[in-house]
Formats: sequence, structure tokens, C-alpha cells
Amino acid sequence: MMQSSSHSDARSAIFASIRENLAKSAPFDEARHEPSPVSSAIVAPPATDLLEGFKESLELVGAKCTFVGDESEAAARLRAIVSDISATEIIVSDSELVHRIVNAAKLDAIEDASRDELFSSDVGITSAQFAIAETGTLVLESGAERHRLVSLVPPVHVCVLNASSIRQSMAEILELVDPDANPTITFVTGASRTSDIELTLAIGVHGPGELYVIVIKDR
Amino acid sequence: MSTTHATSETFDRNARAALADPVLHGALRNLADSFVVRRQNAIASAGDWEGLRDRARAIKDETLLHLDQYLERFTENAKKAGATIHWARDGKEACDIVLELVRAKNANMVVKAKSMAGEEIHLNEALEAGGIEPVETDLGEWIIQLAGETPSHIVVPAIHKTKQQIADLFVEKVGIEQTDNVDVLTQTARKILRQRFAEAQVGVSGVNFGVAETGTILILENEGNIRLTTSLTKTHIAIMGIEKVIPNFADLDVFLKLLPRSGTGQRLTAYQSLITGVKKNADDIGPDELHIVMLDNGRSRMLAHPLTRQSLACIRCGACLNACPVYQQIGGHAYGSVYPGPIGAVITPQLFGLSKSKQLPYASSLCGACREVCPVKIDIPALLLHLRSEIAEGSTAAAEATTRKPGESFAFRMYSRMWSTSGTYSLSMRAARLMQRVIARDGKIGKVGGLISRLVPPLGAWTAWRDAPVVAPKSFREMWREKKK
Repeated sequence: MMQSSSHSDARSAIFASIRENLAKSAPFDEARHEPSPVSSAIVAPPATDLLEGFKESLELVGAKCTFVGDESEAAARLRAIVSDISATEIIVSDSELVHRIVNAAKLDAIEDASRDELFSSDVGITSAQFAIAETGTLVLESGAERHRLVSLVPPVHVCVLNASSIRQSMAEILELVDPDANPTITFVTGASRTSDIELTLAIGVHGPGELYVIVIKDR
Repeated sequence: MSTTHATSETFDRNARAALADPVLHGALRNLADSFVVRRQNAIASAGDWEGLRDRARAIKDETLLHLDQYLERFTENAKKAGATIHWARDGKEACDIVLELVRAKNANMVVKAKSMAGEEIHLNEALEAGGIEPVETDLGEWIIQLAGETPSHIVVPAIHKTKQQIADLFVEKVGIEQTDNVDVLTQTARKILRQRFAEAQVGVSGVNFGVAETGTILILENEGNIRLTTSLTKTHIAIMGIEKVIPNFADLDVFLKLLPRSGTGQRLTAYQSLITGVKKNADDIGPDELHIVMLDNGRSRMLAHPLTRQSLACIRCGACLNACPVYQQIGGHAYGSVYPGPIGAVITPQLFGLSKSKQLPYASSLCGACREVCPVKIDIPALLLHLRSEIAEGSTAAAEATTRKPGESFAFRMYSRMWSTSGTYSLSMRAARLMQRVIARDGKIGKVGGLISRLVPPLGAWTAWRDAPVVAPKSFREMWREKKK
């Protein structure tokens, strides 16, 4: 590339400046007390029942959460949501769980939607690899599921996941997810929102305006 | 752009104009009412808030103390994951890099996610000068762009505008019907910007955190425009200040607890994108290329002393703006910098030069509210005092101003003689008590004018902008003596 020589100039100049300035600071740093070792224990709010906690957190951010007993109940719930929002154009990720439930619900859905289909879709259905109870957060890994546009572009996002993927805290999730295998990991907490006009909450500014979560309790 | 913006050099004048603007005050009133209360509620859900702040600061201190090493690790790991790293000593270099990348893609427009680093280097102006249309996609930034203005807050850029002003702007610029409905305004932006997203080839964003251990960049948002910018485009360019690096992936936990609570009073913002390099297969969703532009632009200079270095711990939450009694009155534009408020008064002089922003370190009552709310415990008042002393020591003009006039020296000599013995001190207090009867109103000495202010000029000067307290009717010693009787 054209800029390679100026690139290396800039890089070495920045590193030289960093080292030179840190050296100037060194006498003051030695005199300073080292920060006391930090405790790794972060006091989390008392863990209520994991599933109930997840549901409460979701409701706090305006999402709707339903527990179902199995995949056929999940299919029935999905049909009800699709009918409530009068959705006709449905797009889905490549999640096998999602495909089974969409089939059981006898819904027509498009996988790998084109740009036009994507932008005109009414609802996007995905799963999630994990979820966080204390914040009501869905954790979606791009390597595990082709979710990135399905969970983002349609006005409504429905997420179906197994209860076993729910954890209490963000700290646990950061241990579980794998950034090396997933170029993008997305955390989703509620619907798209903004307070940019007079700090008044408005929902669905760029992403989905509604989020439905279906948790399959036993499988 | 034809609009001229206030500069930091004219802070005093800007602030006076802001104080006289009733519409601005109406808009800013929401700030204290909403953000401050929301933040208080949100931090209650965080458990050990003080522990989190200490931990975050310790992580930042550790990183900054070995910034060269962590930057090497971060950039090596990001490269391994498929990102391309660029280095920019200053804003112009950064803009040139972005411009060259956009041109290489033959794109004539870019979609932009809100980025304070992008604002800092005036990327939009550079792109426009290069014939490329920058399209801001964050609602607040888009409003500002339509109005030809600059952001006045680092989290809510259009906080200085009322709903009515925004509606008028939309009527004029995008031809909607007049409305007072925020949802209508929001959906207008969604509809128009969807078309721009659909045609965009290149997206530009900022970075909230860069993880050395994995080469991951993390970007937080509420709207979804950052996800669209980084998912729909073929090329993603991320501008990252060199101070944004943190050591470990697990460290994100602390910052994800602190930043949303401090910034918007949320437990977590709606979306976080953790981006590690580029997609593994050609037919996967997402950009083919990720370019990370590492920006110095005056940051490395701040490493030279622990006091100034702490400025680099800032995570750009905006809590100090919301808490500041000065910001609450004058808003962000008066500071004449992309970084307003207390943190702006501290980093603007350090980034862009003290000579251009001499008044900013004085734009504070040193009340300490900023230090109290700062999630990484930056001692902003100490930094303000440090900058004030640099101004006092460094500039001859300032030195002349502080040289006392002969009359003033005489007054201070008398003052020191009178108050150094208890007899003359209590005599002076009794005299003050007698004289203040003429000028005290409702238990304070308000604006003093006319003859008195001509006879006692310091009193007139002092009370021109503030009230002076009155001397108590009885001194403590007098009350003590009476009690003992």
C-alpha cells in the first residue's frame, strides 16, 4: 500500500512518544502508592430464580418473555406472536432450533433473505447462544448462527432459546463466549431505543421496535 | 459548512450568551431531571459501586502505565484476526487515512456511527472536502448534521435542542408535516436513514474499548445504527484513541457495569457489538475488511505525569457533564470544543493546547460533583487547578494580571495587619456589622452599585456576579461569653 512508509513512521513516532512520556513520569510513579490489589469479587444483586430473574429483567426493558414446556408449545406461541403482529414476511437465521419451530408452526419463512426481502420483512426469528438473567440480555455469536441481520433489520425480533443457555451474570458469559471463533458477538438487551430528542424515550429507531423471547424450559 | 461555531478562546462570551438563552435553559432542564435521577437508580442495582470504580481505575492505570506493551498486544491480536491497523499521529493523518480507504473503494458516501474521536479530528469536514458525503446515522448526530451544528454533549449530541426546534428542522430539511410527536420524528429518521444504509459500501465508527488479549473492539449503543453500520457495509473503518485499550476480555465486565449506568442510567445499553477481526468465510454476513485507525493526537503527551495521565482513563460517559452546575447552565457549545463540561475543560487544553483554551480551566466552581460521579475516579478538580497553575506560571500576560496594583497592595497590607491580632479583628467585624446594615438584603449582600461600589471597589467587583454573605449578628466568641455568664 502507498502509505506503508508513512504508516511505519507514524507507528514508531507514536511508540517513541509513549515511551518518552512514560519515562518522564517514572520518578512520580515510584513515589506514588501502588493501587491496592483489586478484589475480583463483584457483589452481584441477590440471585433470584434464574428464569424468573431473566423474565423480570426483560420486562424492565420492555421485552416480552414467555416460558414454554417444549418445542411444540414454542411453535404455538410463535404462531400467536406472528398473528398478533400481522406479520406476513418472515425471515429466519440458520439455527436448527428455529427451523424446527417454524416448521412445527407451519409458517413460511425465508432463510438467507436478499437485501430487498430483508428490508421488507415484518419479523426476524433467531435463537441465541446464551442469555444473561441479571440484565435480560441475549448473547448472539456470529460464528454459531447467521443472526446479524435477521435480529436487526426487521421491525420485530423473536428469539427462541433453551433455558439451559441462561446464566446469571455478564462475568460468566465473558468466560463462555469465544471471540476467536466469532468475528462478531452481539449483546441484545430489549428493543432499539433512543433518548436523543429531549431525553424522551422512543422505541425502534434503527433496530427492532419489539422483542419477544420464548424460553423452552425442558428439552 | 457556513455556520461558524463558538471556539474555546471566547469561552467567557459564549457562556454569557448561553446564560441569556431561555430556549437553551428549557432544553437543558431535562438533563438534571432525567439523567441524574436515572443514574442514581441504576447505580443502586450495581452492587459494590465503589469497588467497581476502584477496579476500573486500577485497570486503566495499569494499562496506561504500560500503554506501549498493551497497544502492541492489541494490534498484533487484531491483525491475527484479520483487521488492518493504521497509525495516525494527529487528526489530519487520521482523516487522510480514512479518505484514502474510502477512495480505494470508489465510494462517494459513508454511513457514520457516532464517534467522539471522529468529531475530534473533524472527519466530516475532511470527507466533504474530499468529495465524499458523510451520513451521520445516530439520531442526535443526524439532527446536528441537518442543522449544520456541532454536538453539545458527548452522549446526547442534540441535548441543546427542543423538540419544537427539531420538528421545525425536519419540516424545513426533509419536508415532513409539522408535528410534536417524538415517535413521528424518530420514525422519519429511521425511514430516511434506511435508504442510506441500503446503499452504503463503507461504514465509519468509533471504539469504546479495545481488548489487548483478543484484539476485540467493543462498541456500545442503543439505537442499532452502529450494528447496521458494521454489518451491512463491505468495509468497516473504526477510529480508536490509543487510550481505549484494556488488558483482558474479562475486564469488559467492570466497564459494561459502569459505562451504561453512568452515561444513560441504564443497566446495559440495548446493544454491544464485540468485533474481532473480519468474517471467516466469504459468504458470511458482515464487512470483508476491518480497518482500525489508532489515533494519538496529543494523547501520548498526557502520559508524562500521573496527574495528567488520569485524563486518559476517561470512558466518555458524560456523567460529569450532567452533574456539573456550570454545564447545566450553559450547555456544551459554550466550551467551544467537541469535549465540553468538566472533562472537556480538562482534556481540551491538553489535546489542543492551553493557549487556545485558557478560560476553560476556570469554567468550574471546583465543587467536586464531577469527581464524585466519575466512574473511573478522575480527579477533575485537581486537574483544573493544575491547568490553572500552568496558565498562571506559563503566560506573561497572566503574570501581569496577577501583579497587584499599589492600592490593592496597601489594602492587603491593612487586611493582614488588622486580622492578625484578635483585638483589631473583632473591631473590624463590629465595624462591618454596622456598615452592612445599609446594603444587606434578605441575609446576603447582593449586587452592590452606585456610590458604595465606587467607595469600596472590591465589594462592587465581588458582588457583580455573586452574593456575599453577611457578617453574623454576633460572633462565636460573643455568644460563648454570654453563655458562660
